[in-house]
Amino acid sequence: MTTKKKRTPHSQNDRWVVIVADPAVETPKKDESDPVFVRLRNPSTDEASLYLFGSGDVQLYEVKAFNEDFHSWFIGQAVQRDGRLLYVTPMDPLYLLLPYLIKASEEGKFQPVDQVVIDEEFPACSRLLSCTRSLASLHYVAEEKDVGSRKFHRYSQEKTLQWLKKKVERTVTALRRSTVSVGEGVKSTTYIRVKQEAREEDYVRYAHGLISEYISEDLSRALQTHLQLPELSSPKEVEPPSKKRKLSDKPVESAEDYTKFNSSDFARKPPKKMSAAQKTLAKVDKTGMKSMSAFFSPKVKDEKK
Amino acid sequence: MSSNCSVTTLQLDSIGQTEPATVHLLPCEIEHDGPAEVSRFFTATIKDRKHEKTVSFRGRGLKGQEVSCPQGYTGLVLSEVNKPGSDQEDRTVKVSSVFHNLTYWNLETPPNSDDGIVMAMAWPDLAEAIHGPLDD
Repeated sequence: MTTKKKRTPHSQNDRWVVIVADPAVETPKKDESDPVFVRLRNPSTDEASLYLFGSGDVQLYEVKAFNEDFHSWFIGQAVQRDGRLLYVTPMDPLYLLLPYLIKASEEGKFQPVDQVVIDEEFPACSRLLSCTRSLASLHYVAEEKDVGSRKFHRYSQEKTLQWLKKKVERTVTALRRSTVSVGEGVKSTTYIRVKQEAREEDYVRYAHGLISEYISEDLSRALQTHLQLPELSSPKEVEPPSKKRKLSDKPVESAEDYTKFNSSDFARKPPKKMSAAQKTLAKVDKTGMKSMSAFFSPKVKDEKK
Repeated sequence: MSSNCSVTTLQLDSIGQTEPATVHLLPCEIEHDGPAEVSRFFTATIKDRKHEKTVSFRGRGLKGQEVSCPQGYTGLVLSEVNKPGSDQEDRTVKVSSVFHNLTYWNLETPPNSDDGIVMAMAWPDLAEAIHGPLDD
């Protein structure tokens, strides 16, 4: 089935099914405002994506849409056509601050961060500096200088790559614990996928892919070199095109600006480099199979207007 | 026209007034938004088997299972309060239902660990690795 049934566009969507980290919805302390969804510049796409500031802006959350074609909800005694599941998970604000620091570093001098994190198009970006972790973690990506009572910062790619490498290492550990198959899994006749022993490189590459959804392409490439991940020589699609899941490289389809969430489906492109065994496997008819790795893509693409 | 300046407030005081909702994720798109007699025509015919639930929907056999929200996470249904006329205005959503588990349904295929929704439940752990503070 390569053709897709034409559907009428989602019209008046005014309900969303969300799984949210508990701290984000705890009753605000006195004098603190309710949480707010805001649009900020996505560091990977440079376009608008939806995020949430918790009460008092102390914590930033990512809003990610998990989306499979042809799904709808029953909620109590009602139908909800939009079958997306949204996730609200805590996010490291440093990923969003980084592009501003990098941009400012073109001038090569130390600057106060509040003069750097300014964006006419996304005025809410300055609120990132209110997050508890923001100022305390700038030293991971920038050199710091104290002048009087003021702090000045200058982006350092070297420090940033070290910081990102630690992120990759943490992610590799989490992937090992998880049921996510980072290599090409094999599906048995019972349709239950068996998690295979994956090589260290597969884990690192997968983790690099996940982290790359939060950084620019340039930085992603630099990180790949820093991690000493070999370049992928012959990119090949592992799956037949018809079996590929619809990835979220396209904007979430809807004119509703509410629906501009981060990436729609946790799907990820299959690894591009294949081992000999994988190449053999790739020749096998995989009708009915879907790549496990297809589920996690933090591939973040979003519409702008 | 971009409207990156407008924000959407999540009204938390509404959370106390909600009732838990039963939530099902169906393997088809239903071109409808609004009330439906879910318990009469759907829930009532669900059969609890050993490893799966089964139900017939529009003549098709569905197989499903219940999954819980990841630890430390809660399911919410948010709904918009007073939709504004333009995308320049700030908006407000309230919590209309709370859920701690949901039932997802496959068409024909028995529920298994390869199902998208099961994979999605693993996301918070990975997100913590990607976004949690470094311990040093």
